[in-house]
Amino acid sequence: MLRMDSDARTVIREFVVERLAPTTGRTEIGEDDDLIDSGIIDSLGIFQLVAFLEERFGVVIGDEEITPENFASIVAVERLVASRSR
Amino acid sequence: MAYLLQQLVVDSAHRYPDKPAIRARGRSLTYAELEMRSSQLARLLRERGIERGDRVGLFFPKAVESVVAMLGVLKAGAVYVPLDPHAPARRVSAIAEDCGVRALVTTAERLRTLPPQRLACTVLVSGEPLGTGEVPWSALESFPAAPPPESAIESDLAYILYTSGSTGQPKGVMLTHRNALTFVDWCAATFRISADDRLSNHAPLHFDLSVFDVYNALGAGATVSLIHEEITVFPQRLAAMIEEHGITVWYSVPSALVYLLLHADLAARDLDRLRLVLFAGEVFPMKYLRQLADLLPRAELYNLYGPTETNVCTYHRVDRWRLAGQDRLPIGRACANTEVFAVDDDGGRVGPGATGELIVRGPSVTPGYWGDPVKSRQALLEDPHLGERRYRTGDLVTQDENGEYLFLGRRDSQVKSRGYRVELGDIEAALYAHPAVVEAAVIAVPDDDIGSRLRAFVAVRAGERPTTAALQSHCAGLVPRYMVPERIEVRAELPKTSTGKTDRTRLAADARRAEAA
Repeated sequence: MLRMDSDARTVIREFVVERLAPTTGRTEIGEDDDLIDSGIIDSLGIFQLVAFLEERFGVVIGDEEITPENFASIVAVERLVASRSR
Repeated sequence: MAYLLQQLVVDSAHRYPDKPAIRARGRSLTYAELEMRSSQLARLLRERGIERGDRVGLFFPKAVESVVAMLGVLKAGAVYVPLDPHAPARRVSAIAEDCGVRALVTTAERLRTLPPQRLACTVLVSGEPLGTGEVPWSALESFPAAPPPESAIESDLAYILYTSGSTGQPKGVMLTHRNALTFVDWCAATFRISADDRLSNHAPLHFDLSVFDVYNALGAGATVSLIHEEITVFPQRLAAMIEEHGITVWYSVPSALVYLLLHADLAARDLDRLRLVLFAGEVFPMKYLRQLADLLPRAELYNLYGPTETNVCTYHRVDRWRLAGQDRLPIGRACANTEVFAVDDDGGRVGPGATGELIVRGPSVTPGYWGDPVKSRQALLEDPHLGERRYRTGDLVTQDENGEYLFLGRRDSQVKSRGYRVELGDIEAALYAHPAVVEAAVIAVPDDDIGSRLRAFVAVRAGERPTTAALQSHCAGLVPRYMVPERIEVRAELPKTSTGKTDRTRLAADARRAEAA
């Protein structure tokens, strides 16, 4: 399993920038930028992201953890993944 | 009897002045406040030169002010145009230009994303005004609380809803007060909406499902909870909101209900107050409908059908006893004061069992597309004797042995994805606008969860190799997000049929194979 260090953030950012953001026309996303109001994470994107996180980091993310708080930003997603890896 | 939409609220405001009419984002507005604020907005718009029949764009995420703005524009005798707050600025601008929007109700933040507009006035729901053309929401307070005198009649336009067009230009469907009230009155009688009801509003306001939620709630003195865009992403939150707000009437596209079924653990919720679940806009996959019916044993379920051009024109009440043996759900029979029938290619009516295009007659039928008499004539058949216009839906149907209509498919390349009406040509036009693209074809791959998934194939100029992300980003600048293909495959050239056309059948097979892999 991947260690929770700065690598995780990079991996999450890459997925968000390359797979989710293009359908909104955004090319640059800061670590604290809002992912929900901006529409980067929508109802299709969120489960693509969850599936990616589960596979890439070997974690299980329950439906009850799919909340606006946990997916507010790249940093928030990283925190969620870290909390599920313990 | 109300002959203008805004009149629906007058009686409710007298009877329930202190009752919440609208809830949104943790705020609520009473009937008395809604009446007063919308009258003040109408006065403000009039003072700023907005006249009867002028178009006023509404461009902001859902909030209690959304409904104030709708009613305020109508009370000014004007026409509102709900603009998708998540659509790219270029598309929003193109729509505003197409219908000659003369005023905007928006937020400072959204306004700054648009190129400069030539407007009589801009009302800001939030944010700091710049210059005298921009009026803050707080300015409403200085206007009289009585509306301007009524001058409109029922055949005047109430709102224009823009929908995907096959050549890359969105089409503005014009709807009159009579069009909307025909639907709203039918709903009120059929579904017995009362002051005790609590309605949800899941659909975006530029989508005609919202007409039901907002006006049926206001007409009955009920409360409508506007579900803001961000909550629709989080199924658990959405389900919690249905429970906490005590929603009794829900109306959405089937995709939204499937999303809840798959991810919200509905069985763990207390949804007993939900007495009526209506859905429209796309085909509800039977396996999910059966699950929903089991989870909500007390709710009545209805399949409603009708394009934006007619609003709902047929309906079918789900029969739980028949559900197990049904392989597809009928769209049902015509609503009151509406006639539907199927015709063959020569325009002759076809009987039960035969396939034909569904035609709609009645007072809910649109007068046409804004500024486009050619498209209007193509879509609306003029009856030579009565002079009335009948809408050609483009939907292929057949009538079953019970006299109910079944939807079979489309005559053209319009598809539904997450309940949104999408013209494949609209997306192809966006792809062709990319400098490297020489050929483009968009394929809709059928999908149980969201109706269809959009896949694109493009051929590019020699020496160019744009990435999928770059092509998606390009499309996102031109079309709303739900129209941006999830996958875009770049090829040297696209396969051709023997007559030299793009071989869509082969591409569809390729797309399905890629999906299964």
